[in-house]
Amino acid sequence: MRRFFIYLFMHIKLVILLVFILINQKSSAQNIQIVKFDALKQCIYNKSDTVYVVNFFASWCKPCIQEMPEFLSFAIGIKNSKIKLVFVSVDFKKEQEKLLQIVQKFSLQNVYLLDETNANNWINKIDKKWSGAIPATLIVKKGKHNKFIADVISSQTLFKLIK
Amino acid sequence: MKTIKSLSIIWIVLSVICTNAFAQKNNKDIVDFKLKNVDGNFVSLSDYPYAKGFIIVFTCNHCPFAKLYPPRLNDLNNKFKPLGVPLIAISSTDTMMYEEDTYPNMVTKANEEHFNFPYLFDEMQEVAKNFKAQKTPHAYVIWKENNQWVVKYNGAIDDNGMEPEKVTESFVSNAVNELLTSQRVKTSETKSIGCQIAFRRK
Repeated sequence: MRRFFIYLFMHIKLVILLVFILINQKSSAQNIQIVKFDALKQCIYNKSDTVYVVNFFASWCKPCIQEMPEFLSFAIGIKNSKIKLVFVSVDFKKEQEKLLQIVQKFSLQNVYLLDETNANNWINKIDKKWSGAIPATLIVKKGKHNKFIADVISSQTLFKLIK
Repeated sequence: MKTIKSLSIIWIVLSVICTNAFAQKNNKDIVDFKLKNVDGNFVSLSDYPYAKGFIIVFTCNHCPFAKLYPPRLNDLNNKFKPLGVPLIAISSTDTMMYEEDTYPNMVTKANEEHFNFPYLFDEMQEVAKNFKAQKTPHAYVIWKENNQWVVKYNGAIDDNGMEPEKVTESFVSNAVNELLTSQRVKTSETKSIGCQIAFRRK
């Protein structure tokens, strides 16, 4: 045991570096969670009192990025409430860097990157009328599909919809 | 004898109801159009009197999902045009929103990617509205029935945009093959992620 501590002390620089890398990795991982559709479904369709507002977007989608300020002001309005704002990115997994830039730029919370190649398998499970065009926003209440808007949305409309 | 008669009447009524139900579900008539191609000429469906059907793809320059498909569109046209099913690409994006999608940029794109099919500019967005196209890329297979164009398939081109080598289902290709062999289109609608075609408000 003593030897171990001596060894540790000798390599203190290395240890600090390792801890630093670990912390850094953790914080970037907290920003974006890469999930399969079924895992995402479990996150948003749970039967708690929380209302989920789920925005489908991508870093390459111009209208999606243009409407981000609307979601940010909505986020301020729902602070300390049982409403949770979730962002689901359909960015290409290979191009995560671009997504990360957007996440950092708008300080987005609760961001999921959907790790699916064939959208035909999951789009209908969000809403049967959805063609797959983004942006789109889903509202889930008590674990059930409540509303779906396949278009850009304003913070005012968002506040109305969750009432 | 009477029972046979009444049975046959019921049979006829039932079959009429069934065909109508089918007609309502899938068959949406398409109005012919006349749009400017990247070569400067105007293109209509009626310019192809030999065509049994068409692959119509709503696409554009700017959309990252649409950008994945040009080689595959060339392949589809190479494969099916000789069989009487040419491919036509149409760009209906609002050019006020996307500079990249203006007509001169469409010309450049078609040259750069060696498009072997017409790339038409739907400036008024009327054709996209007629098809109810909602995003790029959004593919349709239309077929000539009683001198009318009927939608037989709409949706994704195939099931893997990013990795063409990992495609397991070529939806458009399958639909055309089924139609060419007088079969029912098994998968008549699919979904995929794409860039919204934002319709200008009048």
